[in-house]
Amino acid sequence: MYLSPEQERTLSGERGEAKELAMTILAKVGEALGADSLVPIKSAHVLAHYSSLHEAGIEVLEKFSSSGGRFAVPTTVDPASVDLENWKSFGIPEEYAEKQFRLCAAFARLGGIPCWSCAQYQVCNFPKAGETVAWAESNSVVFANSLIGCRTNKITSGLDIACAITGLTPRFGMLLDENRRAQVAFRSTIDRPTDLDYRSLGYYIGRHAGSRVPGLDGLPRNVSSDELKHLGAAAAAGGPVTMIHYVGITPGSESLKSASGGERVETLDVGRKELDEVEADLNQSEEKPDLVALGVPHLSASELGQLAKLLDGKKLKGGTRMYAYTSSQAFDFVKRSGIMLDIERSGARLTHSTDAEISPLKKLGFDVVMTNSAKLAEIVSSEGEVKIRYKQIAEIVEEVTS
Amino acid sequence: MTKVLYFKGRVLLEGRAKGEALVSRRAFTFAHGVEPSTGVVTDVRSDLLGESVREKVLFFPFGKGSTTGAAWFLETVRVGNGPAAVLTQTAETMVVTGAVLGEMLYGRRIPVMADFPSTMAEVVRTGDLVTVETKDRQVTVSRGE
Repeated sequence: MYLSPEQERTLSGERGEAKELAMTILAKVGEALGADSLVPIKSAHVLAHYSSLHEAGIEVLEKFSSSGGRFAVPTTVDPASVDLENWKSFGIPEEYAEKQFRLCAAFARLGGIPCWSCAQYQVCNFPKAGETVAWAESNSVVFANSLIGCRTNKITSGLDIACAITGLTPRFGMLLDENRRAQVAFRSTIDRPTDLDYRSLGYYIGRHAGSRVPGLDGLPRNVSSDELKHLGAAAAAGGPVTMIHYVGITPGSESLKSASGGERVETLDVGRKELDEVEADLNQSEEKPDLVALGVPHLSASELGQLAKLLDGKKLKGGTRMYAYTSSQAFDFVKRSGIMLDIERSGARLTHSTDAEISPLKKLGFDVVMTNSAKLAEIVSSEGEVKIRYKQIAEIVEEVTS
Repeated sequence: MTKVLYFKGRVLLEGRAKGEALVSRRAFTFAHGVEPSTGVVTDVRSDLLGESVREKVLFFPFGKGSTTGAAWFLETVRVGNGPAAVLTQTAETMVVTGAVLGEMLYGRRIPVMADFPSTMAEVVRTGDLVTVETKDRQVTVSRGE
């Protein structure tokens, strides 16, 4: 991999220890991944939640912050493992929260933007089409490549910080035109998809695309960016998907032919039978849920508005809690707009700056979790500690409220 | 009689290793899929559920799941439960990043290779003895028959 004279100087330590460390990671990982050079980025999005980073991840972030590191580009951050404002009232043990706060402190010292959201592209990090960014968080990567039309690889933890500190990212994979073409197509035959259908469809694509870039045709014209957020998140949870060519939506993908660069590709139909299979796979239990978890990825303010309408006049039955996970920004907005009052009147709670899949569900005493998030279902069932019930929102509300 | 097979791949991180093969035919993830404190696979969708990756030569076709994979890998290495080597069909960025950090922070070198001929995935089985020597870009698989 080519390094410019300035990058070589950074690698040899002339720009300080933190940059040397970051450049070493970029050089080694870039070389390993077959990158030809390092290219500038407009923004970074990094991971700093304790449940995944563990002790080793704290050591990585603290090593950067204690050696004079400073982010070179605007850098946002994925959710924390605890609600950073109201963690105590959610029953988070103090020693667990302390670990998260060490990560928060290191991130702050590095000069990060404390948005703590996995839908940062809806609240505080807005690239434009054609720009190169370095984002971690698999759902954000799919959103960036597929809907915004900017370019990013799925940047892993550790490499994310190195990109943010140097303002550079290895040029490989999804940064290159030839790797962005659709290599397999999916055609949805679902008439008027529900919330769950969008997620199951995404998950199906994730499971069946393999390492090929998928195209997707047959979505309704009025599909919303929130629905595509959840579809993309489910795809990235089910497989190594980093981009979906939504035919007629993704910039440059007006048709399947333009998405694939003129190549003929295998086309797979996805109908009710396929989505039923996904539901049967992700739904592991019929037991009464301890928790309904909504929002992996984070719900937008408008989704919270829809939830308020669904819960209007209803009350949660005893023994089940309902948490809606959102960004701090959307939380503030719905707090001021009155939507929060509407939701909380039903007994449900809003929580921000954290998300269900990275919070210690088992430690908090939840054994059966009900959700319409395929991403949450996939991750939680991967761990095997908590049982998942995977249902559409209308069925969930019907069952757990009166 | 011992059957010995050789496969060439692309070297992502240099090193040498020897160990028992642990082979998955499905997409694999360390994130929420391997418990670092034990090295045991906890992903219920993995065909390696319940197996330990510790000191094994881990082989899987490609990765999946959360981008925190590198952190989970790194924590597994930090506590001494990391694999001896990782071999994949498609280059897997999380393992590479985790392994680079593992060497920088904890001084443990785990060779990583990818881009093997597809015949390797059909042939190699859990329990085979595998030797990885990246200097020769080569993996040696031996099995008593």
